[in-house]
Amino acid sequence: MTTYGMVIDLERCVGCHACVAACKVQWEVPAGESRDWVVPIGPTKDAEGLLSGFYVGLCMHCERPSCVEACPTKATYKRDDGIVVVDRALCIGCGICVGACPYGARYHHAGLRKVDKCDFCQERLARGEEPACVTTCITSCRHFGDLENPESDASRHLAHSRRLESAEARLGPNVRYLAKDRTWRLVHDAFAPPAPELSTPAWLLQKIARPLILLAIGAAFAGQAIAFFSQLRRGEHPIEE
Amino acid sequence: MPNIPVLEPHITLDADEQEALQQRLIKKHDTAVILLHWFNACIWALELATGGALLAGDGYRIAPAWWRDFMISVFGSQGMILKVHVTAGIIWTTVLLVYGIFGFRKYLLRTVTNYLVPDRDDLRWLRSRLFLILGRPETLPPQGIYNGGQKLYGIVVYLGTAVIILTGFIMAHHIGPNWLVQWSILFHFLAAGGIFAGLFVHVYMGAVLPEERPAFYSMFTGKVPELYAYKHHYKWWRQYKETEAEWREELAREVESKPSSAPDGPAAKEDP
Repeated sequence: MTTYGMVIDLERCVGCHACVAACKVQWEVPAGESRDWVVPIGPTKDAEGLLSGFYVGLCMHCERPSCVEACPTKATYKRDDGIVVVDRALCIGCGICVGACPYGARYHHAGLRKVDKCDFCQERLARGEEPACVTTCITSCRHFGDLENPESDASRHLAHSRRLESAEARLGPNVRYLAKDRTWRLVHDAFAPPAPELSTPAWLLQKIARPLILLAIGAAFAGQAIAFFSQLRRGEHPIEE
Repeated sequence: MPNIPVLEPHITLDADEQEALQQRLIKKHDTAVILLHWFNACIWALELATGGALLAGDGYRIAPAWWRDFMISVFGSQGMILKVHVTAGIIWTTVLLVYGIFGFRKYLLRTVTNYLVPDRDDLRWLRSRLFLILGRPETLPPQGIYNGGQKLYGIVVYLGTAVIILTGFIMAHHIGPNWLVQWSILFHFLAAGGIFAGLFVHVYMGAVLPEERPAFYSMFTGKVPELYAYKHHYKWWRQYKETEAEWREELAREVESKPSSAPDGPAAKEDP
């Protein structure tokens, strides 16, 4: 059993954006959009003095991904190896999943008219390579690998890693962070995920329209079944008019 | 006003009259309507089968999970199911547009204005039909070429078809912002689901219920026995008889206006 994941050491990130550039080049991400991002935090002051750093974001490949639940066609699904992917042949680009991801990890690709996101460079993985952001990082702050395999680079850094979660969003992210307490407080305050949002039409479809239509279909089927058995009980006239 | 026999549905016909009417077939549907009906039925079967597999998310699906697996085994992948669904939808829309544009006056406008607007008799028919199915004795009020149930379903189908085409086009080509596509999914589902729910009643009433069976056969032959028209669609039957009487008068005038001695006149062409 494989579960791919990543551990990012925020104390080592220098904010060079090499990972972002590598990803954009690798996957031809359009201008203004991104599959991963680096955001400066601070400078600010706490009890110990001045503090600044960088927050590194990407798809968290959650254990209980809200985007998978939100997708009407199952174009977004979780592979057996834990990677959450978008099947472009099936995605209709409705963007319900974009709003459902509390980490903001998805965007609508205007050229493709599909939703796009980080997939841990699944094509590179298939060739036995690591994701582009991992191999490009100049400070080696990204540790990628099979979280189930204690020998993997990610597993070796798993011990003190933290999950970026909140009371509203406990989705079990498989991208984790290494950070000192004071850095983590800063990151958590700024980037803790809000509750996943289901758009109004998606909510109406799930909660109102679906039960309503199922009821209508059931009632119509039951109605004609009752009528049919009533007809069988009466029998047919020997002469048809 | 042509002179037609006044037969009211509440007057019981004697056996000879009934047999005479039963032997005569009168035209109910044009060929174009019959072809469109069965084309529509085939496309709907395909679209419902593929659509049920496409709406696969756990919070959305109305077909059981195995249905998606079965359709994937038929078409190879869910992506292919989407392609088939969209392609069939485009073919369907194209045919409906051709029908609607070239047959606008002859078929579409006539159907919408004459056949789909319900009157009080239609509403009474719906109530009485329900009681009849449940075994309570009721007299059905006289109906036009389509009865109250067919009209009700016809309205749902016409409105639903417009919604399905519009929302399907938006989704297939991702027209407009994401919110428009999301609302399109909802209305596409509601329209298709509403029509699908009515389909059970439509198929039962049209193909299984013995009293309406001539209507089912008429979707192949275009014709129904006159007795069926008299008993089930009395208002239409009267209209038909008026049209028939007018046609006979017209024919008689034509024959009278032609010189009887003309060697190539209609009289000369008559069968012995």
